[in-house]
Amino acid sequence: MSHLLDLKGIEKHYELGKTTVTALRGVDLQVERGEFTVVTGPSGSGKTTLLNIIGCLDRASKGSYVLDGVDVSERDFDDLAEVRNQKIGFIFQSFNLIPVLDVAENIEFPCAVRKNPEDAKKLRARVNALAKRVGLEPYLRHKPDELSGGQRQRVAIARALITEPRLVLADEPTANLDSTTSEAIIDLMLELNKEQGVTFLFSTHDPRVVKHAKRALQIQDGKIHDGAGH
Amino acid sequence: MALLKLAVRNLRRNRRRTAITLAAMVIGITGMTALRGFINGQRETMVENVVRGRIGALQVHHKGYVQNVLTSPLQLDMADTPELRKKLADTPHVIAVSPRIEFGAMVSTPDKQPPPEDGSMLPEADQGKTSFFIATAVEPENEAKVTPRRTNLVKVGHMPASPEAPELVLNADFALGLDAKLHEAGAPLPPIEQQLALLAGDRDGALNGENVVLGGTFPSFSPGDKRVGLVPLVIAQRVLRMEGRVTEYGIAVDALSEVDGVKDALQAKLGPDYEVHTWSELFPFIKSLNGTQDFIFSIISAVFLAVVLLGILNAMLMTVLERTREIGTMLAVGMRRRQIIRLFMLEGAVIGTAGVMLGLAVGLALVTWFNHHGIPLPAPGATVDSIVRPYVTSRFIAGIFAGTPLGAALATLWPAWRASRLRPVEALATA
Ligand SMILES: Nc1ncnc2c1ncn2[C@@H]1O[C@H](COP(=O)(O)OP(=O)(O)OP(=O)(O)O)[C@@H](O)[C@H]1O
Ligand SMILES: [Mg+2]
Repeated sequence: MSHLLDLKGIEKHYELGKTTVTALRGVDLQVERGEFTVVTGPSGSGKTTLLNIIGCLDRASKGSYVLDGVDVSERDFDDLAEVRNQKIGFIFQSFNLIPVLDVAENIEFPCAVRKNPEDAKKLRARVNALAKRVGLEPYLRHKPDELSGGQRQRVAIARALITEPRLVLADEPTANLDSTTSEAIIDLMLELNKEQGVTFLFSTHDPRVVKHAKRALQIQDGKIHDGAGH
Repeated sequence: MALLKLAVRNLRRNRRRTAITLAAMVIGITGMTALRGFINGQRETMVENVVRGRIGALQVHHKGYVQNVLTSPLQLDMADTPELRKKLADTPHVIAVSPRIEFGAMVSTPDKQPPPEDGSMLPEADQGKTSFFIATAVEPENEAKVTPRRTNLVKVGHMPASPEAPELVLNADFALGLDAKLHEAGAPLPPIEQQLALLAGDRDGALNGENVVLGGTFPSFSPGDKRVGLVPLVIAQRVLRMEGRVTEYGIAVDALSEVDGVKDALQAKLGPDYEVHTWSELFPFIKSLNGTQDFIFSIISAVFLAVVLLGILNAMLMTVLERTREIGTMLAVGMRRRQIIRLFMLEGAVIGTAGVMLGLAVGLALVTWFNHHGIPLPAPGATVDSIVRPYVTSRFIAGIFAGTPLGAALATLWPAWRASRLRPVEALATA
């Protein structure tokens, strides 16, 4: 079977007036199903740019990208919306929950906005189970602004998992959290990776986080160096 | 459904902005409703004044009369027979028939003193006055049924007691100008030299006169009706040498909406020697006035609407700006662009619906209150108040009800489109 992610010769250039900023200069990367991978690198090295391209939020300037057997570099915006919705879960540094929705509604959101949403009762049951798993059961009716940062990121994790995605992308998911909470969040992601076989790919600055990862990638000046994981 | 929930919650999230947008809509819609109601009410009063105060709902004449009306064509008259009156009265919706002769007449007041013995002239102030006026000869009882608004306004003095009574009823301002003295009802007639003279040329041009007294006056209640008066029909027929003949029938109907049908029915019954006109044909200026009012109203409405919709547009643009990151998140988790457009347009439609319900509630309450209590207001050029009772039609309400949420959704179209065009990466990168 093919790789879950297969990137070849990915380049990303930003046109800024007359100058061109190169964020990625030829990235080759394969990720297998069930991997737990971190991408590290100094600020400005291109981590976010790479994750955005992998997440189909942005397009590469050059190169090919096959996700789960589908060449996504040629798809149009609404096609990509569907790919994102079904195959990818996102966890953001600043949580990005929808403030007017409560915890349960935030978790179910990606499924609720589908063209043919599943039965509401079944969905709610899955939401409840997932909330329980990430330790949010008592907070289902709470609004995001009533939660701590760690709790918010748990909501985001549950939201990323509700669609049962092939891949969960997390861009510095612990950057806005204190170290204890960071550890707990990383532990949770590791457990979910083990239990459910979900593929995780995330970026971080935090060396303590890196030691948990099975595979660590170094990105420097827009190029990847595959380092050994633990 | 999930989108509607989101839309409503987002509107509640920024309460102050929503409240201000709503307030603008409520003020706009209330204003429009009240204005429309007032225009409608005033229009109805004006029609009432014309129909029930001057001419009747319809008029029947000899063929060609209306075209030559400015020359008061006494030649174009009709034999006033009981059969003809019955024919008119026996038409569906007709409730009263009033035979009339419209003619140009003169009225002279007596000198205040006998001429001096020495043959010199009386001082000017003591001399009698003679003035031209438009006389309408009527049978008081029948006329009271066709134009009750006019006859009811004879508050000073009284209508002539009968078609033969030698009593005039003049416009109050006109009577004042003439310095004509009012004759008490039932009092013995003054000597001939102290009576008024009603003079008019007959069809052959010969001038005839009758002695009369001033029985009563009515105030002006519509523009341009000062030199007018009512004359008992038999008296007029004697002066004009038109015994048994009239130039006009004024006709009252039970519902003004039926005039066109009544007109056709009458015309069919009477044949080609007669002509039938409705009030709006006789007073075409009302129609053009209505047209002008409607035009002005639509301009004012358009301005109201533009202000309200720009308010919504502005509020929604700000909302999109503030929620850029959230929109980025929604796009990231797989919401389609069409759904983003729908979400924001739904917010516009929800605020539009809330605004129209509140605005109509306030506007209709206002219109209903004033309808009950009436607004005493003189018609242009009138000296007596007409009670204006504002109202709006269900069509107007339906139009506002359907149009406002639609307009609000449309005003949201551009902000919504902008939101949907956001690129997720950039939207997510905003603070
Ligand atoms: N929209 C953009 N326009 C122009 N240049 C950009 C844009 N986004 C990123 N860049 C540039 O691309 C390079 C990589 O940026 P990127 O955000 O991917 O780095 P990063 O590794 O995520 O950094 P950090 O650790 O600070 O988040 C940087 O030099 C940055 O200035
Ligand atoms: Mg970054």
